[in-house]
Amino acid sequence: MSDLAHDAALSDHGEHESTGIENRKLGMWVFLSSEFLFFGALITNYLLYSNRGGFEGVYPSEIYDIPFTSVSSFVLLMSSLTMVLAHNAQSRHDQNGARTWLFATASLGAVFLGGQVFEFTEFIVIYDMTLSTNPAASAFFVLTGFHGAHVAIGVIMLLSLWGMSRRRGGLSDRQGLNLELVGLYWHFVDIIWIVIFTVVYLLSTPPT
Amino acid sequence: MSTEHTTDHPTPSQYWKIAVVLAVLTAIEVALFYINRELELGPLNAVLLISLALLKFVIVVGWYMHLRFEKSLLSRFFTAGFLLASGCYLVVLSALGIVVIRGG
Amino acid sequence: MTATAERPQTTIFRRPRSTTGLWSWLTTVDHKRIGILYGYAAFTFFILGGIEALLLRIQLTQANSEFLTAGAYNALFTMHGTTMIFLFVMPVSSAFMNYLLPLLIGARDVAFPRLNALSWWIFFFGGIFLYSTFFFGTSLPPVGADGISGNLAAGGGPGSFNFLASSPDGGWFSYQPNAGPLYSPGTAMDYWALGLQMLGLASLVSAINFIVTVFNMRALGMRLLRMPVFAWMTTVVAFLLLFSLPIIAVALFMVAFDRQFGTVFFAATGGGDPILWQHLFWLFGHPEVYILVLPAMGIVSEVLPVFSRKPLFGYSAVVFAGAAIGFLGFGVWAHHMFASGITPVAQAAFGLATMIIAIPTGIKIFNWMGTMWGGRLKLNTPLLFAMGFVGMFTIGGLSGVTHSVVPSDWQQTDTYYIVAHFHYVLFGGAVFGLFAGLYYWFPKLTGRLMNDRWGKVHFWLMFIGFNLTFAPMHWLGLQGMVRRTWKYAPETGLEPWNVAVTVGAFTIALSIAVFMVNWWTSRRRGPKSGIDPWDARTVEWMTPSPTPEHNFTEPPVVTRLDHFWHLKYDEDEEGRPVRRPDADQLLERLEYEGYNPKSPIHLPNPSYFPLTTAMGLPLIFYGIIYHTSSWGKALIVLGALVMLASLIGWGMEPVEEPHVSHDQDDDDGDSADFEQAEADHV
Repeated sequence: MSDLAHDAALSDHGEHESTGIENRKLGMWVFLSSEFLFFGALITNYLLYSNRGGFEGVYPSEIYDIPFTSVSSFVLLMSSLTMVLAHNAQSRHDQNGARTWLFATASLGAVFLGGQVFEFTEFIVIYDMTLSTNPAASAFFVLTGFHGAHVAIGVIMLLSLWGMSRRRGGLSDRQGLNLELVGLYWHFVDIIWIVIFTVVYLLSTPPT
Repeated sequence: MSTEHTTDHPTPSQYWKIAVVLAVLTAIEVALFYINRELELGPLNAVLLISLALLKFVIVVGWYMHLRFEKSLLSRFFTAGFLLASGCYLVVLSALGIVVIRGG
Repeated sequence: MTATAERPQTTIFRRPRSTTGLWSWLTTVDHKRIGILYGYAAFTFFILGGIEALLLRIQLTQANSEFLTAGAYNALFTMHGTTMIFLFVMPVSSAFMNYLLPLLIGARDVAFPRLNALSWWIFFFGGIFLYSTFFFGTSLPPVGADGISGNLAAGGGPGSFNFLASSPDGGWFSYQPNAGPLYSPGTAMDYWALGLQMLGLASLVSAINFIVTVFNMRALGMRLLRMPVFAWMTTVVAFLLLFSLPIIAVALFMVAFDRQFGTVFFAATGGGDPILWQHLFWLFGHPEVYILVLPAMGIVSEVLPVFSRKPLFGYSAVVFAGAAIGFLGFGVWAHHMFASGITPVAQAAFGLATMIIAIPTGIKIFNWMGTMWGGRLKLNTPLLFAMGFVGMFTIGGLSGVTHSVVPSDWQQTDTYYIVAHFHYVLFGGAVFGLFAGLYYWFPKLTGRLMNDRWGKVHFWLMFIGFNLTFAPMHWLGLQGMVRRTWKYAPETGLEPWNVAVTVGAFTIALSIAVFMVNWWTSRRRGPKSGIDPWDARTVEWMTPSPTPEHNFTEPPVVTRLDHFWHLKYDEDEEGRPVRRPDADQLLERLEYEGYNPKSPIHLPNPSYFPLTTAMGLPLIFYGIIYHTSSWGKALIVLGALVMLASLIGWGMEPVEEPHVSHDQDDDDGDSADFEQAEADHV
């Protein structure tokens, strides 16, 4: 518990923040705004190639498993619920509750990732669509691959918070802010998937 | 700077209710996908699906990310990034012939 | 104080404490030291980029010269551009922004000091990684080449100097698929793509840091519209970096994946679209050029008022024009693609947008002129370079406006006319502005003044050399001299002016040598500057020079724009400045108090985790280049583990251990409080 007290006594050198928003929180929102440009480029790339006709090999839009992807999208969406419940518990200093919901979020994220791995494996092994098959396939794998990498990093951060909380008997206020920030990141990764699910999967049309 | 929020947070039960809304919206989206396959809604399909996605987007950002209750500076940054990305990439898609702007 | 000192469980997490010596530099999180590190590194790359340019010029002095092979020529112009943009102008601007931003807004450091160190170390390893291509990179002829010309031949083609031909040679813009796996096999362009990826990450992290710093860490009373213009330009640049770097990151990943993992983004034979590369590259590339020039514009906006002894003409207009340039900069990228087959509507739209962006630029130029007009000019070196900026940048801006006329641009594209334009704005503009800043802020860094006479020699040599080098390129281009081509025929008649250009280039080199000697001797033996050598206007001069580690003993409470000036001067009935009788006393007090704070001042602790985190990146990227081998794969895993372990350590090291400014009176660099804490612990 002494570590918690130590952390609580200090807060970023106690400096006043001209906007009234904590430095780290402002920093996370600034970072997330830049990620629109990142995923936007990948989505644009996918839209460019996804139904351009004339490529050899199978197109991603021909082999989507909508029911499967709907379920994994639902899983990721629900992980946003568990994430916000974790933050809520932490802000009430319910350390046990926070840990439970953190672990739940990480688990749902892992399930989502498992689904992605399954989908990729199916595409590669059964349908013979790899990174190199054609531009549409390249675009699909790189877009969803980078999204998946973001989810994986999120899971690592969630488990780190969970582990730290277990080790020290709970998170301090300072670490509680970090939990909120990981939450912001996690929700962002979720909303990117909301866009991808609609634009890439549900709006997919066969190539012209 | 304490991490306690001075603004009101939604309660856990409100978060659950929001989750139900999100799940329902997702179900509608998936249903639309199949309806479109049967009925060929044309451009209406894209309009509806994108609207639903945007609605889910706004709900998660506004309530789960708490942006509705935060200082407006944060929404300004976030919106700026979103608008800049949308603007630039729509122009690129138009220039490459994917999105057709009249006369383009 | 003592109650909060907590000894961590293991010594790995003990925050480093040294304040002198190599270890202190390796673990520093002090924005001033980080700025200095950026500065010296950038200048080293400036010299390397300059040597690359001189080699190019030697080749082009004579028609049909075969001093360089075509392969070496391609590599040299690629690395010259890449080096000057990413390894010189950007990091030297970063040096200024790092050193000055907290001082200009009255803060003790940036918002995230360890993240700041991380940016520096990623840049450092990125630069080394990129340049290691000279040793490890390979540039092979494409499959099926018949060895006729250029780097298609294995030996680079005919020519005496082929050294360096196996470095990146696809141009700094790396147009696809020419610079892709089919037409540029080998590893050189992979070093380029992955090196740039690292450098981009460093700048992105920096941008987030600066934005949070500007918004959150201003001194009391320092409203946004009271900040010095350089602080504003830093903010605009940070937003430009924030929003443009993710785009090039995606583009570079796509190139790297095409080259390494067989994706088909840009390979035309597989259906990839080369124009997509151009869009993505220039979506970043155009904001990038404003990133390159806005800091220098900020410097000029600081220097001109001080040396004209007048306030900046139209401060708000200059600030808003800077912001407008930044914003509009995202709307003009396809003016680099007028000759690439985009539609007439796109050409018209982008041509128009490009013309519009000349308006805020013009506002700034008129305001700078208005600042000087009627002022009592002190023609010292900083002012000469600032005036040089205004003149040379205007010329470059005018040739830029001629590019915005699409049919005219079709004639100019790929000729030396374009080379003339961007060197006028980047060298005559950014570089002149940066030198103005170096001479101006040298006292803050060292407590001494540079030799003004030799500064003027530097200026005039550089001014003459610069114009002799780049002015002829305007007409050489219009006469048809083609870019990126290793030789030209004697019948073209281009040789005489090319000789002049080369003479100019070596004159520039001479001027740089003068500068370097001046810098080196002034650091040691220059006259002491005192706290306010230039009778300046802004708050960074309210601390002693050289700047104490803690910046300000008491952060200033700002009451108006040019707060410092108004502490020293009142105005008479005609608006002329009248020095207040207590001004000198004020300066003495500031100098004394700056070095003698009454109570210990807490500073962010040093840390070595930024260094170790950054070290993981080159390991991963070397591993990616050689990933087909087992040791390559091992490197990727090792690099990832190093980063993960470092980030965990970063998260777990104690937030604060006693670390006070070592400018306070103390024997061994530790504060009295810390020694008390040591004694208290069992």
